[in-house]
Amino acid sequence: MESLLLGINALTFLEKEGFPLLKSYLAQNEKEAASRSLEIGYPVTLKISSPDMIHKTEARGIRVSLKDEIEVRHAFRELVDSFSSSYPEKWLDGIIVQKQGSGIEVIVGMLKDLQFGPVLMFGLGGVFVEAMKDVSFRLIPINASDAKDMMEELKGYDILRRSRSGPIDLPAIEDFLLQFSRFIVLHPEVKEIDINPLFISSLGSGVQICDARIKVVK
Amino acid sequence: MNQKLARLFSPHSVAVVGASNNFDKLGYHVMKSLVGNYRGKIYPINPKDYKIWGLDSYASLGAISDNIDLAVIVVPAHMVPDALHLCGGKGVQGVVLITAGFREIEDPGGSVREEEIREIAAHYNLPIIGPNTFGFVNLSSGVNASFTSEFSRIEKGGVALISQSGGICHLCGFLAIEQGVAMSKLMSLGNRCNVDFPELLSYLVEEDSTTRVIALYIEGLDKPRRLLEVAESLRGKKPVIAYKAGKSEKGDSASRFHTGTLAGNHAIWKGALRQAGILEVDTAEELLDTAKAIDACPLPRGTHIAILSSQAGPGMIASDALEPAGLKLCRFSEVTQERIDQLLPPVAIRTNPVDMGPAWYNPKNIIEILKTVLGDRDTDGVIFLAMYASANLKLVEGMVEYMKSIESFQKPVIACFSAPPGVWDEPVKALDRKKGVVTLPTPERAVLAMANMWKVGFLMNRKR
Repeated sequence: MESLLLGINALTFLEKEGFPLLKSYLAQNEKEAASRSLEIGYPVTLKISSPDMIHKTEARGIRVSLKDEIEVRHAFRELVDSFSSSYPEKWLDGIIVQKQGSGIEVIVGMLKDLQFGPVLMFGLGGVFVEAMKDVSFRLIPINASDAKDMMEELKGYDILRRSRSGPIDLPAIEDFLLQFSRFIVLHPEVKEIDINPLFISSLGSGVQICDARIKVVK
Repeated sequence: MNQKLARLFSPHSVAVVGASNNFDKLGYHVMKSLVGNYRGKIYPINPKDYKIWGLDSYASLGAISDNIDLAVIVVPAHMVPDALHLCGGKGVQGVVLITAGFREIEDPGGSVREEEIREIAAHYNLPIIGPNTFGFVNLSSGVNASFTSEFSRIEKGGVALISQSGGICHLCGFLAIEQGVAMSKLMSLGNRCNVDFPELLSYLVEEDSTTRVIALYIEGLDKPRRLLEVAESLRGKKPVIAYKAGKSEKGDSASRFHTGTLAGNHAIWKGALRQAGILEVDTAEELLDTAKAIDACPLPRGTHIAILSSQAGPGMIASDALEPAGLKLCRFSEVTQERIDQLLPPVAIRTNPVDMGPAWYNPKNIIEILKTVLGDRDTDGVIFLAMYASANLKLVEGMVEYMKSIESFQKPVIACFSAPPGVWDEPVKALDRKKGVVTLPTPERAVLAMANMWKVGFLMNRKR
């Protein structure tokens, strides 16, 4: 049986496997959202978590850069109301309260190709992926020079290398790609993963998963 | 497998199953390729004729008392299983199966037949090139086991082209004759019954000392990881370059009907080839240019290139092409610059890219400049350009005369000479592929080949 992990389920799955995540909690009510926000530290992001919603952006299910409790409570109400009125038939896990990500957005994915087997994908996030298809592929498993090479292969490599906000943590992406490759080798039940976005912060601050979709065969 | 392939490519005797005197039969053309060219014994097999191409013909393989190393089979598809059984029974070492009509055809009967010959081949442990191939040409030992006799005109050298398509061999084979690409082997694998890219790559790298660079044309493979793993295990031993077709969806579906395999996602291929240390090129021209340059020149140790041109314009476009290709202009040392300044009057640009125009009439000085630049520590390779003008008629001839050895510099020189047909042909031929110099038709192609040489070296030496 194939199942698709979305929202909080995907994040929890990856956290258990030891991947770095933006601090995230699932909140069931406004009060909980407010206290979790305080715990995480502002600014925060609120997102709907639903096993039935693949595209949160299209459903306008995200509120970013929330600066205080008033904004959090307001966003919480808005998200729940709009979700239940637009999709009364869909299940809502709750609202994810997440540390606001910062840095450069990249995507990391794995797909199983009919001929090649597990393939690792890496690319720049956001508009770059959609518009330029600026991604590189390597067969899993990869080694350290492959990880470096697949970053350098991107047309937008300069964006990673010469970020306006100072040097970003390129070694951490390399480590993440290697960790990801090892994880895939050990988990044949995972059929597909799409980590989008992964935030890369300034040098020494590492990388954090913001959102993911995972297809698992049980 | 390597030993069997060695015997298959350099057989002591060849039987042509389906040999013919009739121009309309492929068996005629295979005989034409062998007769008068191949030095071993040729056995035409055809139950109807007594003499084929002037040689005694045999009714079947069984009628030959001698050992047969290689059987080239050109009989119709339905007769192939029997022919293979006879080969196996007789102890034939290898087969070239030219016959088409197997899994590449729409009729499912083709796949059934292919499965049958696969089983026969496995039973006798018989290597088969094909089916659905034009054959192979082993220029190193003068064996043309194909239906195209003209391939024997390719010069003997170090480029092995292994293709999934016979058409690409014909495209590249004749271009090779025209452009002086010297080859060791040229072959199409067709449907790859049991001799596939991994087997050939392993043989060419480990066993075939005449092959210096391996050029692959790939459409699609059922198990691409097998090739990539073999390439990875052989990394660093010989340069491998590949031209992968099927970038477009149309090209991809054409490939299924061509050799029975979907070409697959090109973006994944691109990454996987690089990961395995294989340099991907984008055109047939680039494949040949790069292979030719690698065969004749040492690989550049870095990306710093000197451009020496007898006219300013070609030097400029070569300079323009450097950076997008991943190369840069080198910086001459003071000593180098002083020497160039002595050799050239101050009427043109003497820094890199050097305009050697003022030395038109002085081939000796031109060679001196070349040697000086090659001797500079910052120079990793040289692009050398000279266009004919009536006044510099003797230029290349003079260069041949003065060009003692520049081999000792262990740096590549890619030259581009342009002249009316017939004018510089002889001296250019005397320079091409000699002493670390190779010629290509245009400055841009020279730069691209230089960049590819650097990249292939980089991929070969990259640690895993």
